[in-house]
Amino acid sequence: MGFSLLYPCQKTALRRRQGVALLGARALLFLLLLPTWLVAQTAENEKPVPILSGSAGAFSFVSGGQNLIDTQINPVLLVPLGDRWLVESRVEFEGKFQRPPDGGPYRGPVNKHVDYAQVDYIASPYVTITAGRFLTPFGIFNERLYPVWIRALQPDPLILPINTAPSDGAMLRGGFQVNAKANMNYAAYISATSIGIGSVDSERHVGGRIGFFFPGPRLEVGGSWQKTLQDDRKNAFGFHMGWQPTKAPLNLRSEYAHSFEGSGYWIEGAYRLSQARFWQKAIRRTEVVARAQQFYTGGISSDAATQLGLSSANTSEADFGVNYFLRDGLKAVASYGRQFSPAGNFNQWTYGVAYRFLIPLGRVGAP
Amino acid sequence: MKKDHVMKMAVAVLLSTLALGSSVFAGAPSGKKEATSTAAVVHYTDADSMRLQGEQRFRANCGRCHAAPQKFPPRLMATVVRHMRVRATITDQDMRLVLFYMTQ
Repeated sequence: MGFSLLYPCQKTALRRRQGVALLGARALLFLLLLPTWLVAQTAENEKPVPILSGSAGAFSFVSGGQNLIDTQINPVLLVPLGDRWLVESRVEFEGKFQRPPDGGPYRGPVNKHVDYAQVDYIASPYVTITAGRFLTPFGIFNERLYPVWIRALQPDPLILPINTAPSDGAMLRGGFQVNAKANMNYAAYISATSIGIGSVDSERHVGGRIGFFFPGPRLEVGGSWQKTLQDDRKNAFGFHMGWQPTKAPLNLRSEYAHSFEGSGYWIEGAYRLSQARFWQKAIRRTEVVARAQQFYTGGISSDAATQLGLSSANTSEADFGVNYFLRDGLKAVASYGRQFSPAGNFNQWTYGVAYRFLIPLGRVGAP
Repeated sequence: MKKDHVMKMAVAVLLSTLALGSSVFAGAPSGKKEATSTAAVVHYTDADSMRLQGEQRFRANCGRCHAAPQKFPPRLMATVVRHMRVRATITDQDMRLVLFYMTQ
């Protein structure tokens, strides 16, 4: 009896408590999600849209009197998902055509490969997590300057093949302000496989890059490191710098790389003639470029070096070029270079056009 | 009744604390420096000032690698800037100011 009298009271109290707890839980859930939802809100007209971008180019490389016609298209697919995700990929289709020694029409192989196919998650303003196949962050040329519409001179630097084969794995990267005068950027990765140029060799690597950018003088300096996690566990390292003085339209860049396969450096200056006082309409679209570089062979055979895309002998090279920006994303290029090496000296002439395209895969509205 | 009141108070305090905490983490997920960055962006209340800052950041960051592109529609530019944030490891603050500048 006592039990039956007390039970309704207990039940009512229990229900009340449950009601309060349920209400609290709902309110808690709402309040927990609200700030994230508010921050995640992006105005409808600012929601990122998928893009098909990339570059295309047609060039003629005349090396030691032999002409090579190089045509390529490098589409880049960018698919943003939500506020923090980005799926991106670049594929390279490149045809290299030469006239056979016995005459006849130009012919040659058309190579195609995936440069990168990665998923990026912007975890915080300091950290972006990347997984998939990505460009190895060793130096700056491979990641930032490689596309034909960006590079100031079309011939690759001699040291480009050093530690720049695409990596398959995971990476943490980001950039943030250290103080009012300096920004820091970094990348750290581990790659389960690395596919060598022209082969299916695989290796395991760990490495990283760190850089400091000083916005005042527009100076960036940094270094890269990579360790092979097998066999004799070789180390490779490199340094890079870039400087764009505020008072002159000059872009000065340089890289040094050292590895078991070889070592070397390049230094390049590009000057935009935007301050010329004559023929301004034409001259301001013109850029003159000069590059000096040296490569020293390493501990691998000349055949292995050639397979990697490196010179088989110590090599020095000087290049001079002119770029004319016809319009946004389209430029005509021409350059002359001379290469010096025990294997033989020769001239290298280059001319062609490079184009950058940008196609939205959705409605974007008016600019 | 007193117990209920205490419980309601406890729930209210807990919710307030969690809401405040989640607001801080959502608004500035990486702590003190981000709070500083956000404050710096908010500080530029004047659109002209933000545009000027954006242009400076654009020239300092984007100009390191390539010539200045034309301006694009905001939705397209938002994707490009996100891509460049990852590719060129530009800071979150720089990305916001560049996006503002490039879409005005």
